[in-house]
Amino acid sequence: MSMIRLKNVTKFFKPDTTALKDVSLHIKPGEFVSIVGQSGSGKTTLAKLLFAEEGPTQGRVVIGDWDITNIRQHEIPVLRRQIGVVFQDYKLLSQKTVFENIAFALEVAGEKSSHISTVVPQVLKIVGLSNKRDRYPNQLSGGEKQRVSIARSLVHRPKIIVADEPTGNLDTIHAREIVELLKKINDFGTTVVLVTHDRDIVNALKKRVITIQHGKLVSDIEHGKYVLP
Amino acid sequence: MSIFLSLFRVIKFSFQNFFRNFWLSFITMTIFVLTLFTINAVIFMNVLAEAALESIEQKVEVSVYFEPDTSEDLVKSVQGYLMGLTQVRTVEFISEEDALQSFQERHKDNPVILSSLDEVDGNPFGHALVISAHSANDFPFILEALDTPEYEPFIKQKDYQDYETIIARINALAFRVRVGGFILAAFFSLIAVMIIFNTIRVAIYVYRDEIGIMKLVGANDWFVRGPFLVEALMYSLFATLVVVAFAFFGLDALGPWLATYFGDTDMSVINYFKDNALLIFGSQFLALSTLSILTTMFAMRRYLRV
Ligand SMILES: Nc1ncnc2c1ncn2[C@@H]1O[C@H](COP(=O)(O)OP(=O)(O)O)[C@@H](O)[C@H]1O
Ligand SMILES: [Mg+2]
Repeated sequence: MSMIRLKNVTKFFKPDTTALKDVSLHIKPGEFVSIVGQSGSGKTTLAKLLFAEEGPTQGRVVIGDWDITNIRQHEIPVLRRQIGVVFQDYKLLSQKTVFENIAFALEVAGEKSSHISTVVPQVLKIVGLSNKRDRYPNQLSGGEKQRVSIARSLVHRPKIIVADEPTGNLDTIHAREIVELLKKINDFGTTVVLVTHDRDIVNALKKRVITIQHGKLVSDIEHGKYVLP
Repeated sequence: MSIFLSLFRVIKFSFQNFFRNFWLSFITMTIFVLTLFTINAVIFMNVLAEAALESIEQKVEVSVYFEPDTSEDLVKSVQGYLMGLTQVRTVEFISEEDALQSFQERHKDNPVILSSLDEVDGNPFGHALVISAHSANDFPFILEALDTPEYEPFIKQKDYQDYETIIARINALAFRVRVGGFILAAFFSLIAVMIIFNTIRVAIYVYRDEIGIMKLVGANDWFVRGPFLVEALMYSLFATLVVVAFAFFGLDALGPWLATYFGDTDMSVINYFKDNALLIFGSQFLALSTLSILTTMFAMRRYLRV
């Protein structure tokens, strides 16, 4: 049983970039996996394959027991509600409050207002921002913004959280807070895929580390460390 | 998931679009209004020209004079034959006696003409038929229908009054109005298409962050596209309502002015708009919204990567 399975995945970008070369990996339900590697090594591309932002050029991508290699356009929203995504730049809407930003993800999925008004406070509590629900993004620190974005990724109770460099814009203290939050979410049973190139974070985590170099999977170590320069 | 709730949210987003790009929305609507206004002006002129034509056409008659010795039976049979034609409205039989009498009546003050009657033996007039048609355009056909070997030898003269030139002139004018109006309406429709295309393109650009986030969090496809379609529909609806309001105030204001130029016809034009309001403005709304929705779909295909 695996939650995420890549089978011999190659991703080619026109005109001449092979971002991933014959990558195969398994991630079990409930795992916390860090994907590390230098800039340009193909980490983001790998993350995008998981939520069907990109499709593989060769090979297969399977989420749960759903082969999304050739996913149809109209099935993508269904997939995206099973996978929460978090990015370095938070992707919050500046003219909406914290509450509205999170509610937005439920609104556009057609959820009832009564459901929205119970779920949003729940996820705000998980990320510890219940007292800032009426603030606008520009009234928050970077760490708080990232917590809002994580809260939003949780609203559909996803099986997987994919976080692409979530600490990239944060100082060490806030970065640690975000990682702690992801660990907490992982403790609830959610599979977490953390893309990062932050050596300290990876070493402190003591979780599984997959290293990519030039689009190739070069190491996959349980309780691993950041091995590359 | 409730359809109504989702529809409500889509409409809410479209209103946000509308006010967020207020000036763009305003210009788009103005162009839509101008387009509809042109189209309605053309319809108005057309109806007016047609009303004028009709009122003239009803007065147009053609008299067919038969040779003096033609039998009444033959003329009656021609009358029957003409009545059988669908283009013919009425055919009045005027006997030779009536013709003589009305000639004398008409020229009773002119002894020279009257005395000329005495110089011929008996009644110089033959029977006559006075034909009116449903449309002036039908007269050539009707007159040709009389050019048969059976009737032609007995017909002395066909008198087509010089309404012909008036009708030709009105027809030519109506034709020019139609062509000019069509070109103008096509021109404005083209501009309307370009404007709505650009408005939606800009709206997609302004909303790129929202759209990106919507897609990442698993929004239904029509949550992403719906607001733009509703927005296009909204422009069409508002523009139609504005034009309807203008039309009704405007027509009432025009009434007295029309009366001085066209007599009774003004009422028929205004009534035409009032009686057919649903048809006229309904079909314009349908046409405009179809056009703008198709354009919006095209703009979304180009600029909205889903
Ligand atoms: N959409 C794209 N088109 C072309 N090349 C791309 C595209 N996305 C990524 N790449 C290239 O693929 C390689 C891997 O990129 P990426 O996965 O973003 O790396 P990382 O996230 O590890 O920095 C880079 O060389 C990048 O330039
Ligand atoms: Mg990256």
